[in-house]
Formats: sequence, C-alpha cells, structure tokens
Amino acid sequence: MKQRPFLGWFVSPAALVALGLTAAMAAILQYSVRAYVPGSLNVGGLTLDNFTALLRPLYAWAFWGTILLCLLTAVFTLILAYPVAYALVRVRSKALKSFILIASVTPLFLGEVVRTYSWMIVLGNNGFINSVLKSLGIIDRPLQMMFTTSGVVAALVHVTMPIMVIMLAAGLSHIDRNYEKAAESLGAGPVRRFMTITLPLSMPGIVAGFSTAFAWTFSAFATPQLIGGGKVSTVSTLVYQLGFASFNFPFAASLSLAGLVMTFAVIALMKRAMRPVERLGEQ
Amino acid sequence: MLMRTDTGTAAPSLPEARPAVQLDGVTKQFGDATALHEAWLKIVPGEFMTLLGPSGCGKTTLLNLIAGFLDADAGEIFIDGTLVTETPAHKREIGIVFQNYALFPHMTVANNVAYGLKTRGVEAGEIKRRVDEALALVKLTGFGDRKPRQLSGGQQQRVALARALVIRPKVLLLDEPFSALDKNLRAAMQIELKEIQQRLGVTTIFVTHDQAEALSMSDRIAVMSAGRIHQIAGPQDIYRRPQDRFVASFIGDASVLTGKLLSANETMAQVALGPLTVEVLAAPLAGLTAGADVDLFVRPEHLIPVDGDAAGTGLPGTVRTQVFQGGHVDLYIDMPGYAAQPVLLRSSGAHAPSMPKTGDLIRIRPASTDLVAFPRQGD
Amino acid sequence: MSYPMRRSPLAVAGILLVAAILGFVMLPAVVVTITAFNDKAILAFPPQSYSWRWFERAISYDDFRKGFWNGLIVTAWASTLALIVGTGFALALHRYTFSLKSTLEALLLSPLVIPHFTIGLGLLILSAQLTVGRGYPLVVLAHVILVLPFVLRSVFISLKNLDGRLELAASSLGASPRRVLFTITLPLLVPGLVSGWLFAAILSFNEFTATLFVSNQATQTLPVAMYNYVREYADPTLAALSVIYIVVTALLLTLANFFFGLGKILNVDAH
Repeated sequence: MKQRPFLGWFVSPAALVALGLTAAMAAILQYSVRAYVPGSLNVGGLTLDNFTALLRPLYAWAFWGTILLCLLTAVFTLILAYPVAYALVRVRSKALKSFILIASVTPLFLGEVVRTYSWMIVLGNNGFINSVLKSLGIIDRPLQMMFTTSGVVAALVHVTMPIMVIMLAAGLSHIDRNYEKAAESLGAGPVRRFMTITLPLSMPGIVAGFSTAFAWTFSAFATPQLIGGGKVSTVSTLVYQLGFASFNFPFAASLSLAGLVMTFAVIALMKRAMRPVERLGEQ
Repeated sequence: MLMRTDTGTAAPSLPEARPAVQLDGVTKQFGDATALHEAWLKIVPGEFMTLLGPSGCGKTTLLNLIAGFLDADAGEIFIDGTLVTETPAHKREIGIVFQNYALFPHMTVANNVAYGLKTRGVEAGEIKRRVDEALALVKLTGFGDRKPRQLSGGQQQRVALARALVIRPKVLLLDEPFSALDKNLRAAMQIELKEIQQRLGVTTIFVTHDQAEALSMSDRIAVMSAGRIHQIAGPQDIYRRPQDRFVASFIGDASVLTGKLLSANETMAQVALGPLTVEVLAAPLAGLTAGADVDLFVRPEHLIPVDGDAAGTGLPGTVRTQVFQGGHVDLYIDMPGYAAQPVLLRSSGAHAPSMPKTGDLIRIRPASTDLVAFPRQGD
Repeated sequence: MSYPMRRSPLAVAGILLVAAILGFVMLPAVVVTITAFNDKAILAFPPQSYSWRWFERAISYDDFRKGFWNGLIVTAWASTLALIVGTGFALALHRYTFSLKSTLEALLLSPLVIPHFTIGLGLLILSAQLTVGRGYPLVVLAHVILVLPFVLRSVFISLKNLDGRLELAASSLGASPRRVLFTITLPLLVPGLVSGWLFAAILSFNEFTATLFVSNQATQTLPVAMYNYVREYADPTLAALSVIYIVVTALLLTLANFFFGLGKILNVDAH
C-alpha cells in the first residue's frame, strides 16, 4: 500500500463542509414532502401536495418564464462575451490586454446588489438612457424599461458577462494558433477560418460558459426582484416570497428542489447535446 | 499528377529560369530586434532549399514571411514571378507542414486533406478523387475516416504532407517537420519525403536546425545566424568551402589551428603552419598581406597521424582524451602554440587498438585539399 | 521602403464591436459614479448640481457601518477557513486516490451550479431543524460552501504547475513528509494561496442571495444592508457607496494583476 501522509488532515475539513452542504440539501428534500401549517414555522406530516401545487398555472408560468429568461440571458451573454474573449486572447499589446481583462472582470467582484442598483439608474424613467434619448429629442415620454423582462435581461447579461468571458477566453487560449495558420495557408479567408476552425474548437468553452451563465441567471435574485419589481416572477423571487412573506417553507423547498432538478437537467442536456462537439478540443 | 505540369521535372532547373521564390532585401523587425536583415534569396523551380541555423537565427521568421503570416518591414517577396509582399496568406497558394502538424482535431483525415480544396470551391467528386490520390501518395489509403488523434506521429506527418500537397502549392514549406519524430522514424520519413518531393518536383523550403538533415536532403542550403543569411550553396560546398567563420564552425566539426599567410594568388593561398605549408582558398583571406595571422579550420577527418617523429613532417601534440564512438575514434589533442583549444582528429574505429592513448605524444598533419582559413579574430 | 500595417475592414469592425461591448460593461459604473455626486435627493440624470454629501451619508449610515463590520468578520472567517479546507483538499486531490474522491469533489464543486437561494434556504431550514439560531457560524458556513470551489480551482492550478521533482528532491535529501510540506510545497504555493484567498474574500464580501436567507438583523452583511436600503430609499447614498465599492475592487484587481498576473489566475493566458 502506497503511503499517503496527511490524507486525513487534508480531507476531513473538506468532508465536514461537504457534510454541511449535504445536510442542507437533505433538509430541503425533507421539507419539500411535508405539509404546510399556516401561521406556524413547524411542518406537518408527509405529503406530495407541494409538488402538485407546482403544476398550478402561476408557478408553471413562473417556471417557464425563468427558463426563458435564463436562455435569453445566456444567448445574449454568449453573443456579447465572445468578441471580448477573442480580443482578450488575441490582442498583442500587454497594456490593452490588462485593460480588457480588468474592465470585463471587475463587475464579477461587485456583487449583485451594486450591479443591479447601477442598472436601476441606467434604466429608470429619469435614468441615463431616458435622459439621453430625451435630450436628443428622440422621445418625449420616458421608455418603460424598469419592471420589464428586457430590462431584467439587460442587467442579467451584465451580471453573467464576466464569467462567460473568462470561460470562453480559457477555451480560446488553448487553441493552437497553428490550426488557423494551416487553414490560412490552405486558402481559407478570415470568415471561413473562424467558422470552420476557431468556432468549432472553442465549443468546449462555449458549452461551459453557456451552462454557467444559465445556472447563474437561475440563481440571480436581486436583479429580477429589484428591476423586475414584482412584474417579472422568477423561481428565486417566488421562493423568497414563499419563505419570508408567507413562511410556507415546505412549498419554498419543493420549488427550490424543482428548480435544482431543472438546472441539472438543462446542464446535463446541454452537455449531452454537445458531447460530440465537445471532444473537438481534445488533442 | 498532383503537381502542375510545368514544374514537373525532378531536377532543379537552371538558375536563369524564373525563380519559384524570390526575396529582395526582405527585413523584419520585432521591436528593436532585427529578426531578419535584408534577406536576398532566389529559389529555382523544383529546388529543395533548406534554411539552416541555430534557434533564433531568423529562419522561422523568413518562413513566416514567405507564408504571409508576417508582414515584411522592407523588401519584396515574389512567388512564381508574382509580387506577393502584401498578399494575405490565404491567397498565396502555399502548402505548409507545421512542426506539430496542426492537423485539425475536429475533422477526419479525409476532411483535413480536403480542406484546402473546399476553400477553392473544387466540386465534390473531384475533391474525393484528389484526396484519395493524395492519401495514396503518402501511403495512407483507407485512413480517411480516422481522426488525427487515432494516428501515430509518423502517420500524422504524412497526413499533414498530403494536406499541403493536395492543393498543388506553388511552394511547399516545411517547418522542422521531423523534430517530433523519434530517430528511426525520422530517417525513414526523410527518405520518403525526399522521394515524394523529387517525384512531384515541387519547390520546397525546409527549415531545420539539424545540419545532418540539411546536408542529406537539400539541393541547396542557406545557412543563417542572427537574422542574416551567411552562405547559400549546395551541401558539398557548404561543408567543404564555408564562406565565413560562422559557417565553418556551425556545419560539421572543425578545429582551429593558428597559421601565418605566406602568399596568395587569385584562387589559392599558402599558409604556414609551423614547419608545414598548406594550400587554402584565397577568397576569405582577401585584403590580408603576407605575414598576417590566420585561423585554419580543419575537419577532424582531414587530420592524419604522422609516422615517426622527424620534425617538419607534422605538428607535435599530446593526446588529451581518446573517445571510442563505435564506427570511429575521436582523439582530442593538446597542441600548445598551434591551437588554443584541443584539436579533434577522427579515424576509423577499426584502428582503435593501435591508436595513441591518453598522454601519448603524437604528430599530426592536415591532409586534404578542402582547407579553409579566415583572418585571425581578435581574442 | 516600409509597409503600413494591414487592417482589413473586418478587423476594424471587430475593434469597434469590442469597444462598444466594453462600453456596455462599463456604462453602469460610469453612470453610478456621476449619480453619486448628484446634490439632489432623487435619482435623476444628469445631475443639476454636485456635492459630496451622499458619500458622507454612506459612510455614516448606521446599517452600512454595521453591515461593513459584519461583512469583514464573516469574510475573514469564511475566506480563511475556505483557504485551509480548499488547500488541504486540493493537495489530496492532486496527490492521492481515496474512496469517495470523485463524489466529494463533485459535491464541493456543486455550489457553482446550485442556485444560491437554494443553498441559503437549505441552511436556513437546517438551522431551524437543529434549533440553532441564525448566528455568525451559519453565515460563515454558507460562505465557505459558496467560495470553496474558487479556492479549490486556484490552488489546484498552482499545484499542477508545481514541479513535483522538487518535493522528491527534498525527500531524497532526508526531509520528512511534514518537512517537505512546510518547507517546499506550501512556500511554492504561496502565489496560488494568496490569489485563492483574495478571490474567496472578494466573493464572500459581496455574497448576497444566500446571506439574505441565513442572516438576521444582527448578522446582516453590507450587501444585505444595501438591498434593504434600496427597497426603502431612492436617494444617491447607495450610488456613493457603489462608487467606493467599484474603486476598491478595481484597485484590488489591478494589484492582483500586477503581482500575480490575473490572466494566469483565471487560466486565460495562452500557453
């Protein structure tokens, strides 16, 4: 038997954290099949009512809306993040590279509240966009952007951009430049080169970035809550309302659980659909 | 036929023919560093030209300039008589085999080979025919459906070659294509590549730092160092008549003996080496007057031991080390007064038992008509 | 003669596109900065007159001050614990095979895809079941769970870049495993450890959603205090606070980039 010094020391703290996480998930699982006792924090007996309640139109719609919101956000994020990641990897000047990196990554570390608040000022009726459009004479009544799905998507795209840029850039930076040179020498112009070589080879990064953006958007709470202002219901805002407004923790738990299952399902589905493509990056 | 018919001859054409590649004073700077300094080069159609030099000598820069991956700062590049200095790489009709082959990992072997034909809009039937033909040429018939990662290193290299040749390039560029192969495979691939090149008569520019590879494969070699081309000549000439000290010391082994210039005419010069007098090419010594110090470059196989110890028949020295190399024996000889560094003498391994041992006194002399000398360099 | 640099129309379009996108990324920060100096108490753009008063209010507002100190306490504990836990586990992952290795790894990395509100809700219910209050330990545990994947990644990448022969050389020279760990491995890992800790600290200090579930009035961190503020007031105080946030974060990142190379930490540099 090979010696493994300090194995216990290395692993046991991590095992404790994993235990905490597992216990928390188990708690959700357990609450999701318990009955709600109105007006009390205690829960009743075993029941599947919470899951049948998920099928009610209000919640079914919120679910669909959330999935749509996540997909829209992930798609727009991908479209905006790809050129930035490409520039980040390909720019030759070190100073410019650092600038792009700092500019695109800083928002990641600002937290959801600061970023959402900034977007409220940008999108508000007296906000930046409306003021600019008004002073240019393009509109005379403010455009309604707060409390709309498009406003929420714009802010969410901003929230998920940094992580998408990082994941795409990681993928792009590992593509051997000689592939593109080879394609070029074989007569491929810039567009064909991108479509047949760079894009397919960056698929693993795209898959990773897309699923992460999806999961992050699903997880977002402050943005849909503040910019959606109750007009845009997502799973996260419903869970919060159920928990802290009506103290219906069993139902909040079942909603969370359904959301979790759906997140995993979507990610697994995406990974599976992309599996043939994802192998492309291997060398 | 894979190749265009007008260059379908195996032997290099006469130098007067229109050059397949021509560089007129091409210069490339990277920041303050000059990667390539005014390169002038004419490559004749069908020729196998090697760019040889240590790493950082500018050979890869030169290759990238010809390919169009870099823009020249000054000078002009012609391919097949056409000015291409500002032509983007994808319009230069050049085939390249990269050091790591750069086979597209997400495409099958057949699609890799077909890539250049698809970009040219060749119709499907024709593509299939030419891909099959190219795979047959590199002995990989039936491998078309595999992915590059399922192939061995040697097979990957063949695919890369087929991919570069199938577009019937005006020039084939090879960037250290053998460096990733192990020694035995390397020798076999060298022979195979040379055969294919001769059969197709494709003009080839081969970049390497391996002089054995360069000497054995090339029609002509351009020896480069520090961004400059030092000499362009056939392998024999490069080895036997190096034009300057760099070429003489970079190609093959050479020992430096100190001598004095006695006299010179148009072609040959006489150099005194202690009691001996040897003949060398006059050109490298142009401008020196009689009595000037010169460095004589001697190949190890051009030195022979002298029997007996009569003064005047050889230069005295002491054997420092004897190294048995199998096929031959190397003697490193200390020769104070004649050489600053130990002098290397190489003799057939069959003589090993009778060779002098460490500490033995020995007399040696150069025995060859291929001796070169250069003006003494200040030390 | 010399040639001007070739710039195709495609390349020019690309440069403009990237500039526009970066503009989109930086727009909120710029707008919020301008707003922070607005003298008026309503969020309107552009400001009619300017003042520093919202900065004064931001740093003197009680909930923010308390939130800031709470956040510091939670962040210090959470990032340090995450560093210890993450370094140990990264070492084990890198060196050994053991039972449940991949299960444990998947479990610890799962917070990357589990919604934060789910983790927050789970811990909240758990604390109710165990009848422990919503004190600091609960908040710290939530933060450790959430930032651990980032620490793991950072340390694991530096471990992979570490030349294993150095450890072999040390043990061949007679060093005990313990000595090797403390004199060779850990000192060489310092850049990875520092960047991992920094990452964890920044993320923990900014964590909001899970904290909203597991904190109470006494343990609420700065982001939670900010969220509560924005639901009640609409003056530029929060803009001023955001500006302080943005400046400090950008400064920290620039420092990190200068000392460690952010590209290397984030694994986006070409090899």
